[in-house]
Amino acid sequence: MSLRDAGPPIALVVVFGIFAVLSPDFRTISNVQNVLDAAAVLAVVTCGISFVLMTGSIDLSAPGIMGASAITVALLVANNRNDNDLGLIGVAVAVLLAAALGCLSGLALVVLKVPSFMATLGVSAVGLGVATLLFAGVQPNITDPMLEGWAVERFLGLARLTWIAVACVLLGWLVQRYSRLGRYAFAIGGAEEVLALSGVRVAPYKVAVFTMAGAFYGLAGVLVTSQLGAGLVQAGRGYDFSAITAAVVGGTLLTGGRGGILHSAVGVLLVTVLTNGLVQVGVSPYWQGGVQGLIVVAAVAAAVIPQRRRNQVTK
Amino acid sequence: MKFTSRHTGARHTAAVVGVLLAAGALTGCTETAAGSGGGGSAEAGACDPADVTLVGQVRNESNPYEASWLDGGDAFAEQVGLTQERLTYDGDSTRQQEQISQLLAGDTECLVMNILPNGDSDTPPIVEGAQDAGAYLVTQWNKPADLNVADYDHWLSHITYDGVESGKQIGDALAEAIGGSGGIVALQGILDTGAAKDRFAGLEESLAANPDVELLDDQTANFSRAEALEVTKTLLTKHGDDVKGIWAANDDMALGALEALQQAGRDDVAVVGIDAVPDALTAIEDGTMTATVSSDGPWQGGIGLAIGYCVATGELAVEDIAGEDRAWFAEQFLIQQDNVADFVSPVTSEDDFACGNLFSRSQGAIS
Repeated sequence: MSLRDAGPPIALVVVFGIFAVLSPDFRTISNVQNVLDAAAVLAVVTCGISFVLMTGSIDLSAPGIMGASAITVALLVANNRNDNDLGLIGVAVAVLLAAALGCLSGLALVVLKVPSFMATLGVSAVGLGVATLLFAGVQPNITDPMLEGWAVERFLGLARLTWIAVACVLLGWLVQRYSRLGRYAFAIGGAEEVLALSGVRVAPYKVAVFTMAGAFYGLAGVLVTSQLGAGLVQAGRGYDFSAITAAVVGGTLLTGGRGGILHSAVGVLLVTVLTNGLVQVGVSPYWQGGVQGLIVVAAVAAAVIPQRRRNQVTK
Repeated sequence: MKFTSRHTGARHTAAVVGVLLAAGALTGCTETAAGSGGGGSAEAGACDPADVTLVGQVRNESNPYEASWLDGGDAFAEQVGLTQERLTYDGDSTRQQEQISQLLAGDTECLVMNILPNGDSDTPPIVEGAQDAGAYLVTQWNKPADLNVADYDHWLSHITYDGVESGKQIGDALAEAIGGSGGIVALQGILDTGAAKDRFAGLEESLAANPDVELLDDQTANFSRAEALEVTKTLLTKHGDDVKGIWAANDDMALGALEALQQAGRDDVAVVGIDAVPDALTAIEDGTMTATVSSDGPWQGGIGLAIGYCVATGELAVEDIAGEDRAWFAEQFLIQQDNVADFVSPVTSEDDFACGNLFSRSQGAIS
């Protein structure tokens, strides 16, 4: 890890240290477990979004895709709306549907040349539309013991879905490090033209990146359903921007070509520690939003000063 | 459905008409003030019951409460042998105004509208439009405080609920459930909304009346189930066993808090919310939740149409509606385990919508 990659982890340690000094409630084991459990869903979403950001595109489709997957999985596992009881197959179908929606974003980008910003916003609306149709006015509550267990049952002190998130981060890191898809994602963000000139067909890799991102959002939607015990159309509300924030705070550049899954994971922890710590030290809710925003901007500024010329939204 | 087919075809014209109407509204203001009222005033009350058009408009049908509102409108329409046009605008203010413009561009003489404005600032253009076109309008929940219903003769009534009262009702129910003493935490709604402010003010009144109940912490979860889950988990690690009760400004947050309690393995904490969404009623039946408050959505859907219908058909004259019934707080109902069965499948009663009975649920004028 180079020196300039060390900024976000240092910021994480500093923020954690400050809260630990300020609040005895913050530095308990149970609160650290709580922070890790709370980071799980955001971590999975951020895994997906990091690959898209690495290629230099942006992805706002998380809320719609998560909503569609949340409702789908809630209707396919044991629930109060119908007699389905598909268990893991239901989870798989929801993730596949989400991957298909992600693929749609990628196709709109490379085939129809719609900018990723608009394409993914559109796909988010499509996902919310699908979710609303499936919702049909009655909230599906899940009764599937496996899915409910993910949020409740613990292994080595952490909820099962936290371990699922850890597995996702690991998987994302392996893909980024060892697969052609991961290496090309970096290269597309760094210098797409060079890659194209050297004879690589870029388009399929872009579609693959969006498809994989969609699958991660789908799994995140399943995790939210497990946590809430119900499939919500709004399951993914706000996750698009919090995931982008986490990725950028962790050192993934919006211009692409830099950062990665582990950076983003640090960003997720930083954002989650911040949310939790402000409550634990007793900052008034009227102040929290503003204080959190300031700290995030300060953290990003401190982390990216060496590369600030590159940290602008393009493509 | 009726609307969507028209929508695609006539969208363009509607936009043009909308602009014309807006222009008309600007010049119309002064005329209205000078004259004795807008468009259809002269023939008010002359409508044949069969000619009345009933329209109910809410944000979306994916919200159980708003869907039940439109069902209540259907029930009233059936009662008088008509059908209700169901409109939804997905919480999009522009779309709401577009739909209203389109309605007002049609035949408005016997048009009755029961509208849920998206926000306070969406109400004035709807009111001006209805006044100019001579349609009968009832609004609910949102209006700017300085917009006076009595200044208009086609804006018949505005109905809302006293958030301070509901916040206090569930606060008192929570205090009782924890035996009158102990620590509670509060989950607030979106902090800059009137509903969140009023409901929290109600909790503060309740705390003043129950001095042994201590508010350990108040946080916002923005009316969201998912946010409430995370915030509650954090508060439970912060305050541990001191938390005996959770006050939530709506049921979605209460349901999120219930999940957090389940995940933390706590079953000794009382939870209250507001809105009476179906899942909350189930939770109250099961005994996992303590109380919620209902505004009675089906009644809201029916009453607005009933007021308009009674005036349009001449059974009630606008001048005869008492000043205190032009903008009023309607009765809301505290639901606990002993009476939850009455609310699980709410039905409207024909008597509630009789012309002589329209304002029987009034808890007083909006001050």
